[in-house]
Amino acid sequence: MALADFLVSLLTVVSVYTLFGLGLNIKYGFTGLVDFGHVLYFMTGAYVTVVVTLPVAATSYEGIGGFALPQLLSGVPLGGLLAWFVAIFVAMVVAALLSLLVGVPTLRLREDYLAITALGIATILHTVVNDERWLFNGPFGVRDVHQPLAEAFPVSLGSFLVNLAVFGLVSVLVLAYIGYRVGDYVYGVDLRAAAMAAAAAVLVVAGLGAAALGGALVLGGVLVAVAGVVVLARGIGRADGFGRPLALFTALVFVAWHFGTPFFTAGPSGVLASAVWLFDPTAGADGGFTYGRFVLLVAVSFVAVAYWWCERTVNSPYGRVLRSIREDEDVPEALGKRTFRYKVQSMMFGSALAAAAGGLWATHIAFIDPTQFIADITFFAFTAVIIGGAANNRGVVVGTAVFWTLHTGTRFLNDYFPTEYATQLAALRVMLIGVLLMVILYYRSEGLLGEQTYDTGVAAEEGGRSE
Amino acid sequence: MVAVSDPILEVDGVEKYFGGITALDGASFDVESGITGLIGPNGAGKSTMFDCITGFRDPDGGSVWFRGEDVTGDSPSAVANRGVVRTFQIPHELPEMTVRENLALAPRDQRGESLVASWARGDGYYEDEQRAQRRAVEAAERFEISHVLDTPAGELSGGQRKLLELARALLTEPDLVLLDEPLAGVNPTLEERILDHIQTLAAEGYSFLFIEHDIDVIMEHCQEVIVMHQGRVLMRGEPEAVRTDDRVVDAYLGGDAE
Repeated sequence: MALADFLVSLLTVVSVYTLFGLGLNIKYGFTGLVDFGHVLYFMTGAYVTVVVTLPVAATSYEGIGGFALPQLLSGVPLGGLLAWFVAIFVAMVVAALLSLLVGVPTLRLREDYLAITALGIATILHTVVNDERWLFNGPFGVRDVHQPLAEAFPVSLGSFLVNLAVFGLVSVLVLAYIGYRVGDYVYGVDLRAAAMAAAAAVLVVAGLGAAALGGALVLGGVLVAVAGVVVLARGIGRADGFGRPLALFTALVFVAWHFGTPFFTAGPSGVLASAVWLFDPTAGADGGFTYGRFVLLVAVSFVAVAYWWCERTVNSPYGRVLRSIREDEDVPEALGKRTFRYKVQSMMFGSALAAAAGGLWATHIAFIDPTQFIADITFFAFTAVIIGGAANNRGVVVGTAVFWTLHTGTRFLNDYFPTEYATQLAALRVMLIGVLLMVILYYRSEGLLGEQTYDTGVAAEEGGRSE
Repeated sequence: MVAVSDPILEVDGVEKYFGGITALDGASFDVESGITGLIGPNGAGKSTMFDCITGFRDPDGGSVWFRGEDVTGDSPSAVANRGVVRTFQIPHELPEMTVRENLALAPRDQRGESLVASWARGDGYYEDEQRAQRRAVEAAERFEISHVLDTPAGELSGGQRKLLELARALLTEPDLVLLDEPLAGVNPTLEERILDHIQTLAAEGYSFLFIEHDIDVIMEHCQEVIVMHQGRVLMRGEPEAVRTDDRVVDAYLGGDAE
């Protein structure tokens, strides 16, 4: 698998879990509801989306469903896509209603009891889905996941060169835009901190590169990489804030990984393949735009809409009431706000977003079974939200990216160790994230970005609109 | 219920038990407009009474009437929306939110407080929020906390928290304000300021029921005093009558009231 394909897959996973995390942030970050059963709505979203669009006679499927919505709408232009959107919408509504059922009894509890009860309900329902084959095929999972417009891919514009030019240009523009934003942010960083961040990046990349060669170099390489991390920590200590040096370091490491690795394995053509990452030369006769990349675009669009939606919700008098509930529920209640109603709505909204993420996940992965919806997913999302900064929608994006890059991006380390260590390495990767979480909680308990600022759309002093 | 001089609040035989402990043992009293003091030794049931009036606790017996309507067992928000707002003995500021946000939260029936309205932002959304923001600033100016408007409330001094709490309660435009020891832990200068505010507000038509221990404050500022002891109302009357009452003196000195 080319590096570009891995990047696309990683970004898709990050997008899906960002959407999931935005839902959790509405509940936990802004309203203070510790919903340890958040994955329940992700599962609900995935299964409902899949079952609503499942063909009548699906491969070795004995559960309920086969509503065959895409076939019903096959007469309509883009019926498959429309059916998919309808399925996502239905999934969001079902998840919202399910969270209403869960919420009405549990939201009267104080927060720690709510957490335990929500976890219990999610675990029970997960067990039911896993054990009852008549429901959604139990542990055998669901194949034949409807992937809208899949038959149209890979998209080719005629010839290999045209494909390369068009998709490549778009890829480069995307990279350039991200580079511009990062550069704009990093610009003005303390020179010494910048130098140390750059040196740290060189050390880490060189160390990991040496370790990757294997043999006697492993230990030395790891030591050099650790030295790089120490240099980075010192560099951050010298700067005004940690954000700019860290962003610079991350960008340099990314560039080294994304362009350097293919250079060593495939030469200049490898670098080119990484630069035009939205173009897959192996897809179809002339290469083209693959379905995986299309799903990534859809996922990113979903995240963009959900982000805007969450921002609008929290930057309003409504969001103000939500936060007052998080701070001290007695106050809004004493001021005449019906806090129970707000908590239920917060649960329903957050759960609906989780369901949309579930639907996207199913479409991306094309096969779902109960092992994908274990309680860990909830706690991963909590970790991501806390790393990025609770009550910060941008922090969810950052935290989720950091979490899943470390979680999935370090999987390649397996290649350099004997296969019998795979299990231990998997555990080590989770431990690495745990260490990162501890470091962040110790040095910066509010998370990388901290709580966001708010603006209800009215400039406070002038009494005018601030939009 | 027919009362003599149209009381705002009527408490009728309210009982509250915590396990084997009797917190309120059939307490009854009326509150008329103006400033009413609620006094009594520690453990007399004053704060529990506040909780029962404002819906934070359900009474085990008896009833609470506000302006002739039964509010017994209503939720706190329902009671607040009828016009009874309370403060807490320990100030309940919202620490991570700014003073401005603490205050802008308070006005009732804001359009943007509904989920759908926060998305749609249709007619009146911005006007309504402007009004809430303006009123927050006015309240901060009136209570002399406008210089800390954009400070997180958790960083305020103890006295500023008391003022914030009072300002926030008044922004709901209540008929009756229940103040739970508004002067506890407040320095003498600030005490004077808070009492001035209460007097001015009473002159503007707000009514107060407040728990206080300083008998001089009660004498000077209250038209009526209710004395509670061991979950019951010992007596209700004018400050002068209360001060000279033997039963009250006994209760405070720990003697047997009966």
